[in-house]
Amino acid sequence: MAVLTVNNLSKNYKSVKALQDVSFSVPEKTVFGILGPNGSGKTTLLGIVMDVLKASGGTYSWMGEEGNAAQRKKIGTLLETPNFYHYLSAEANLKIAAKIKGRGEADIDKVLHIVNLYQRKDSKFSTYSLGMKQRLAIAAALLGDPDILVFDEPTNGLDPAGIAEIRELIKELNRKGKTIIMASHILDEVEKVCTHVAIIQKGVLKMVGSVKEVMAHSGGDAVTTVLIEVSSANDEQLIKILQQMNGVLDIHLVDNLLQVTCSENITSAQVNKFCFDNGIVLNKLNEKRKSLETRFLEITGTKSEK
Amino acid sequence: MTELLKIEWLKLKNYIAFKVMAIFFIIGVFAINYIVYTVNKNIVNNVPGAGLISFSPYNFENTWQSTSYATGFILLLPSLLLMMLLTNEYTFKTHRQNIIDGLSRQQFISVKIMMALIFALVATVLVFITALIFGFGSGTSFSLNGIVYVGYFFLKALSYNLIAILFSVLIKRTGFATGVFFIYLGAENIISQLLNVLSIKWKADNGADLGNLGDYLPMNAADGLLAFPDNPFKSMSKHIMPSDYTWVVLALALGYLVLFYFWATKKFVHSDL
Repeated sequence: MAVLTVNNLSKNYKSVKALQDVSFSVPEKTVFGILGPNGSGKTTLLGIVMDVLKASGGTYSWMGEEGNAAQRKKIGTLLETPNFYHYLSAEANLKIAAKIKGRGEADIDKVLHIVNLYQRKDSKFSTYSLGMKQRLAIAAALLGDPDILVFDEPTNGLDPAGIAEIRELIKELNRKGKTIIMASHILDEVEKVCTHVAIIQKGVLKMVGSVKEVMAHSGGDAVTTVLIEVSSANDEQLIKILQQMNGVLDIHLVDNLLQVTCSENITSAQVNKFCFDNGIVLNKLNEKRKSLETRFLEITGTKSEK
Repeated sequence: MTELLKIEWLKLKNYIAFKVMAIFFIIGVFAINYIVYTVNKNIVNNVPGAGLISFSPYNFENTWQSTSYATGFILLLPSLLLMMLLTNEYTFKTHRQNIIDGLSRQQFISVKIMMALIFALVATVLVFITALIFGFGSGTSFSLNGIVYVGYFFLKALSYNLIAILFSVLIKRTGFATGVFFIYLGAENIISQLLNVLSIKWKADNGADLGNLGDYLPMNAADGLLAFPDNPFKSMSKHIMPSDYTWVVLALALGYLVLFYFWATKKFVHSDL
């Protein structure tokens, strides 16, 4: 059964359409990334399914049921910013969260240990650094060991070690069979931890599926191509030779490397052989893996939102 | 609801402003009545002839009304505290987090309104105790006559508290909400005074007696039920004042409470947080 299903979800802020007819399902036991540039509607979408924002249209369901408070108690959520009572200690804040979720206080020490905040549990929230606040929010989401976790930009404000820890934590949770829904604008993050991804831009769902599907699928009219970087002692000669090869679409000289765009049936081995047969020895050959970043830019365009 | 109140208590018990306000309020209730008590005693003792008119505001019967009236002046304290508690939630975005963690929107606003009710009840109990202390202190014999004024005090306290909740839900930012609250109270008071003057004029000019029109405004309706006990001088001037339509004012005060309740609830349940 799908953990979360959204149907034609729309949200208008006066004339601004923050979300337009977004529909998708989050399969069980996946790490589902919601990827989009700043202001694309990721937080709006999560806000609606957590009932802090009202949709202008469409519906959503959790585990096949219309969203309600009882369900939210069983979902661990970090939405947008760490939201805590500034004048209370970390522990006192978690007591409130645990009480709302209807859980005992037994979990509190455990989750504080997981995010390395146990030593600072008696400090007031207002004295915490940005990274500590973020980790406390993750601790709060982990209270009661929920099967579903929703993280909005989970690595916001964390240092590199903290980022690595949280990514590892997310993968670990997924291995234990949890479903994680994660919004991010950091492509690398999504690529490293997500099994599924939905790409949204300006409130419109551009593509959704497993990371593999999204990477493989050529969106719209774009022709899928392979990028191979080569260089040799004599680049001018190399360009002439390569231009004669079937399947080579384009050649650019970038930073002393030739970037050769080929149709997708061409492999680096074929390029190597072709050059060798024509009397050129390559001193560098590198097939550039198509990253999610390339796919993302293909799908959303390369200009940032103005 | 008990569980919800326990959650509120967790938010409240380490909040310094709560402790400060609570202490100020408890001391304040006794202090303000003591001041009125002492001033009155001094007048009776020092103004020649004043003792002849046997009027003492803290004698039994009068003590219920006097204490309720005098304490009304510091009712802003609990309502401001409620306002801070609710606007804090907006500032910290914990109103969102509480919903995310599994409260329903209805539960969130209901428990805030319950807090308004509890604050009003506690203030009323304090007034009751203070009235008893001053009543017995004045050496008169116990009587429950006039205790209805303690009930009016409760209505007034609840009105202040609920309008504080409503302003918080509508305005959300602490400083702005308290500012608007004070300005509103001031403005309504001025308009109410003008309406009262008009009421007297209309009665004198063409005999139209609709009561004190100023008492029909939201915050003054609860206020209008409470007045300092009439002394003989004031009674003499009564024939030129508009009549008291106590039941109309009472009905309006209750009506406004219902309005504040539904308005605040509807706003919180149906809008983006």
